[in-house]
Amino acid sequence: MTNYKGYMGKVLFVDLTKQTWEEFPWTDKDRERTLGGKIMAGDILLHHIKPGMKAFDADNWLVVTTGPLTGCGCPNTSRFNISTISPLTNIVTSSNCGGDFGLTLKRAGYDAVIFSGKSEAPVTVHITCDDVQFESAEELWGLTTGETQEKLAKYPGRLVIGPAGENKVLYACVFSNERTAGRGGVGAVFGDKKLKAVTAFGTKLPAIHNEEKLKTLNGKWTKLLHTHPLTGRQLPKLGSAGLVAPMQAHSILATKNFSAGRFDGFEKVSGEELAEHHLVSNGACTGCVIRCARRVNVDGKVVKGPELETLGLLGPNILNDDIEKILKWNYELDELGMDSISCAGSVAFAMELAEKGVHDFGVHFGETDNLSQMFEDIAFRRGEGNELADGTKRMSEKFGGKEYAIHAKGMELAAYEPRHAVGQGLGYATANRGGCHLNAGYMVVVEGLGLDVNSLTPHGKAAIGIMFQNLMEAVSAGGSCMFTSYAVLPGFLIGKPNLLLTRIVLAAFPYVGPVVNLLSHFTKVPQINIPLLPHAIAVKHATGMRSNMAKYLTWGAYGYNCERIANVILGQKADADKLPKRLTDELQDPNNPKTKVPLEQMKKVYYRARGWKDGIPTWHRLKTLGFDIDKSVYDQAVAAARTPE
Amino acid sequence: MAKVKVKLFGVYRVDTHISDIEIQAEKLSDLLEALNKIAVGEQKSSLSFTDATVFVNGEHCKKKRQKFNDGDEVWLLSPASGG
Repeated sequence: MTNYKGYMGKVLFVDLTKQTWEEFPWTDKDRERTLGGKIMAGDILLHHIKPGMKAFDADNWLVVTTGPLTGCGCPNTSRFNISTISPLTNIVTSSNCGGDFGLTLKRAGYDAVIFSGKSEAPVTVHITCDDVQFESAEELWGLTTGETQEKLAKYPGRLVIGPAGENKVLYACVFSNERTAGRGGVGAVFGDKKLKAVTAFGTKLPAIHNEEKLKTLNGKWTKLLHTHPLTGRQLPKLGSAGLVAPMQAHSILATKNFSAGRFDGFEKVSGEELAEHHLVSNGACTGCVIRCARRVNVDGKVVKGPELETLGLLGPNILNDDIEKILKWNYELDELGMDSISCAGSVAFAMELAEKGVHDFGVHFGETDNLSQMFEDIAFRRGEGNELADGTKRMSEKFGGKEYAIHAKGMELAAYEPRHAVGQGLGYATANRGGCHLNAGYMVVVEGLGLDVNSLTPHGKAAIGIMFQNLMEAVSAGGSCMFTSYAVLPGFLIGKPNLLLTRIVLAAFPYVGPVVNLLSHFTKVPQINIPLLPHAIAVKHATGMRSNMAKYLTWGAYGYNCERIANVILGQKADADKLPKRLTDELQDPNNPKTKVPLEQMKKVYYRARGWKDGIPTWHRLKTLGFDIDKSVYDQAVAAARTPE
Repeated sequence: MAKVKVKLFGVYRVDTHISDIEIQAEKLSDLLEALNKIAVGEQKSSLSFTDATVFVNGEHCKKKRQKFNDGDEVWLLSPASGG
């Protein structure tokens, strides 16, 4: 139960081994500490995990969480989160999704559901207001994500896996409608637990603390998103795919397994090409007012189109300029239930290993006719596909090529080549879940794609990166789409890049680090609300909980430190924040000595600003943030992290 | 006057349906003005080219007085490319 509105007040705990269910204790103090979403999930996992626990242990929990804003009528707040120990990275992964499962889970009366144990046989779990039913999923086992959802069409909210999840491909994902909890292999953990699908439905609605004020705010918030240059113009017109051309211009379009930042054929796989020749209509996550998703035609069927990441990584990064193939592959990967980022990254790495004569997996740069077959082989773990199903890191450990194995902590990097956006490089290395652009703080938006801040200087990148990492952590935890956090960047800085004022502000950006650090560290300072961050005010009106910009930054800092210390307890080493040598030691442009990621230099500043030593939060920092973990557990974990392998 | 090859990207291209255009211009400000007349003047785009992010021959260019040579290639990206 809870005294706060916005929440449903209950967390469901499901034991798949015994096929039983009960309520999981979660108090208002827990809500005040974690807000919800990925921070809540991280906190639940932190208090459950044991040193050395692995993804496919029965005791590994799958934690599906919503945010307090989910279902409260705010724009772009249908997002929900799945956290677990990742089979790809062996640390905590949090995977965010815009399908309608989060909304329907709340309608069933729950803020979150935790799955423990393993079912002996394939199972579908149906969650309703008063009951949890376990139904055999033998008939669904082997079906694609689309086929599975068709079979379960009578249930309004669904989570399903495809063959890749069933076969424990380490980057298998989970689907809700057409939207994906894509990264870190959460689908493989579903598959390991023989959990083919989950449905949730009910008739409950969250109560609202101050309906009138929230309604007024929602109107203003929607207007802000509609009028902001990023969320109101660029994203609806071009989708995330609109980034291909500016990435080319700024030399950050990952090309040929991140060996270059520009690709001659980029226009053929660009957002403009997609919008002009292939777009059938815009699509959207549930409750979204931005509508950046693309709907395209594949073999006579209108399906979800590719995001930027898929276009980049199955385009320039494998030397392919055939967009029709990418549309088809995107659909195939969705049906098989695999993360297109990690899958495409593994394919590019396999291509480079083949080119260098290390091992021929049957896939080669510029040759794409057999890729559909390779995707199937990966999903069903057949032949060489079985090697690619384990991801880039494991392939590099088995076959070699570690210096050009493009991953961080075992997770393949997104499509941004960081040698021309060094802050993004720092973000990739320090991101808790591994090579994720969003968990990294999405610095490329500041370093050229949205704002024109010097992308090659290390100055200020640590402080700005931390602020965005924390902010996006909290925005996600509240239940909001992370694209809504762009609106925090004043419109004139983005829409009027050539104004003298804009240029002065952006030139000063790398030098505001100390001020940003102060705000991040002493979060009692910004006890204000700014109109560009309506999320914090919305939480106050929806729940009645004290919330402002300072609270949002504090929740973000708690969440970021929570996943970090959980990772250390799971066995993450002190030197884990790394990038492959290609990105830190080799110049992208041989004539420009600044075109590599000065990672160690930036990390020192980053760790100091975070209150971390060697990448590990100090005990003092954890206590300041309000953690209540056992000191002996902390000491043992830190000692193990500092012991060389 | 130099003959400059111009490529439009982002909202500029989607709004105007122009991907490539050749323009005679001495310097960047002239080129942007010419494009404003073609696109904004004919109400194809509400977005002024004065706000474009400009690349000349692959290099980021912030100088409105940038002079052109025959055959220069100019990329104009709409502001707010992020997403």
